[in-house]
Amino acid sequence: MGDAVPQLLVNGIALGSAYALIALGFVLVINAVGAVNFAQGDLVMAGGFVAVIAGEALTGRLGGGSAWTGVLVLPLTMLAMAGFGLLFSLLAYVPLRRRPPVSVFISTIAVGLIIQHAANAGFGPEPRIGPALIQADALRLGPIALSVQQIAVIGAAGLLIGLTGLLLTRTQLGRYLRAAAQDPEIAEALGIHGARCIAVTFALAVALAGAAGMLLSNHFFVAPADGGLFMLKAYIAVTLGGWGRLDGAALAALLIGVFEVVTAAYLSYVVAEALLYAALLLVLLVRPSGLLGETIQRRT
Amino acid sequence: MIRRLAIIAAIAASTLSPCAVPFGPALAEDAAHFPILVPITGFIAIEGTAQRNGAIQALENAPEGVKVTYEVSDTSTSPEVAVTALTRALERGKPVAAAASIFGTQMLAMAPVAQRAGLPLITVSGTAKLTELGNPYIFRFFPGDAVVKVAHARYAVEMLGAKRPALLYQTTAYGQSGRAELARILEGLGAPLVFEEALAPSVKDMLPALTKLQASNPDVILLHLHSGPTALAIRQAREAGIDLPVVAGSAMHQPTTAKLLQPSQLKGVCAESASSPISESDPKLTAFTKEFRTRFHTEPDAFALAQHDGINMVLAALKDGAKNAEDVRNWLAGHTFEGLAMTYKSDGKGNMAHDALIICYDGNSLVPAVAKRYHNVDGVL
Repeated sequence: MGDAVPQLLVNGIALGSAYALIALGFVLVINAVGAVNFAQGDLVMAGGFVAVIAGEALTGRLGGGSAWTGVLVLPLTMLAMAGFGLLFSLLAYVPLRRRPPVSVFISTIAVGLIIQHAANAGFGPEPRIGPALIQADALRLGPIALSVQQIAVIGAAGLLIGLTGLLLTRTQLGRYLRAAAQDPEIAEALGIHGARCIAVTFALAVALAGAAGMLLSNHFFVAPADGGLFMLKAYIAVTLGGWGRLDGAALAALLIGVFEVVTAAYLSYVVAEALLYAALLLVLLVRPSGLLGETIQRRT
Repeated sequence: MIRRLAIIAAIAASTLSPCAVPFGPALAEDAAHFPILVPITGFIAIEGTAQRNGAIQALENAPEGVKVTYEVSDTSTSPEVAVTALTRALERGKPVAAAASIFGTQMLAMAPVAQRAGLPLITVSGTAKLTELGNPYIFRFFPGDAVVKVAHARYAVEMLGAKRPALLYQTTAYGQSGRAELARILEGLGAPLVFEEALAPSVKDMLPALTKLQASNPDVILLHLHSGPTALAIRQAREAGIDLPVVAGSAMHQPTTAKLLQPSQLKGVCAESASSPISESDPKLTAFTKEFRTRFHTEPDAFALAQHDGINMVLAALKDGAKNAEDVRNWLAGHTFEGLAMTYKSDGKGNMAHDALIICYDGNSLVPAVAKRYHNVDGVL
């Protein structure tokens, strides 16, 4: 067991990093429109399939076998998914923006189902394998073997999380987005176009979901029915981290990934799952505002 | 606006999902009607789609003089949806038989409804309990766990010389049923399990289980998992440097599962199955495979072939004069049928299939070869 511990930790952190990307997009939408985007898991799945298509197309053009195909596929997937995010906001949010948040989250469930069935109709039910971010053999350090792909996933996810943080805190666009999310009416009065900000937020959230989908699609495959799992993990991360807290969601997602893998290794998957839900219940009982505290009070 | 959106969503969903609206030729008064109630979405969609395709190919080639109609309904992954699909099919007409879900959990829910309605369910579900309920309307055309797990365990012990097998199985009814049979048979063969762990179908990272498995010092890995998890387990084992021989469940014989792996990762991998259409050279089977590829643009597997054979046996009953569901039930219970995969005959409980085989990959190709055939495992024929 001892030799496998480093790889188990790497796997846990890689899984948690992907969960963090999903949870970040989830929180961005909650903060922007006050409603949960229940299609987030299906958007991750859609990102995985976009990566499969982009990977196959690039492999054909690059002559196949390029170790760096995945590095090109990641931004392409994010770009395509950002565009899809704009379309998603037009379909699932804009027509209902003046309705209570419950209307929005119901519409996201509907769009999520449509995405899932469209993937099933278009690609078939079987899992597909996405491109590896970096094609390389395992890194061997004596008896310890570390997956380069998993390390690359951690690096890419960390970079994207960092860039998202910088975008939101250090740029004018980020300030507009946060202002429109915090108080849309005051933001409008100050000349900030709220609807555009919300559309950009959806684009960013869906791009992050797409990135997570791409990063997961090689090691874990991607299938039309995968969305529900990712959605559940993101929801738990957001609840544990503090409703509306970007840093809380990312931290909780990372902890969930490591907790799942390590507990499954030393106990079992069933125990890991049971303990995760027990921890969720405990946090809701003892600290309902989450580990880092809530930033918004509206829950839907 | 909400209503308009709901209508748009409903139209889109019904266009894309057969769950909402059944499809197939329109019902006709003088034709025998077949509902096809299978999971074509969700984690068991690969197997369910194979079932659907096998059933459709049989129905589209119904013998001369037998008029049939069919409709497909998606049962997805919940028992409730399956029961609703069956209830709706019964309300829509008087079917003579239904192709029913491979998913044991759904079959256990549908079985009492079918019994009350007197409708034969033609299934390929391997869940052992299904034919132990005393329900005379269940007909299983894929060998149950009591047959295939004998081949699974015997091949590992007798052919590979395993003495310390380790097992990963699914938490579903399918997984638990197979686990119980394997544990019992291996015990009898003098090679009890040294490690076992149940995995939910949603588990993606299998390294924790594989690490514990390796620590138990096994000499063979047995898998009893659905398609995606089987490929994940083999791939992650090979990436972790675990090169032990693998004898997997029937999911590994499916071409869609093999496609997720490199040929080199499949070296030393075998699997139990009822058949492997792409591995056979028999002219009737190659004709079936050729038509299947043309019709559905995918490779056939044992589930498709078993469902095809099952529906063909019902069609033979109709050709022989069966007029309604009860006639079909009686014919299935009392006749022997020569299918493409094997000879089918009820053991009195609805178990129609009694042969199994083991296929193995050579590490160079994604097409397996038949390594060993186990005929009439339960002595019914």
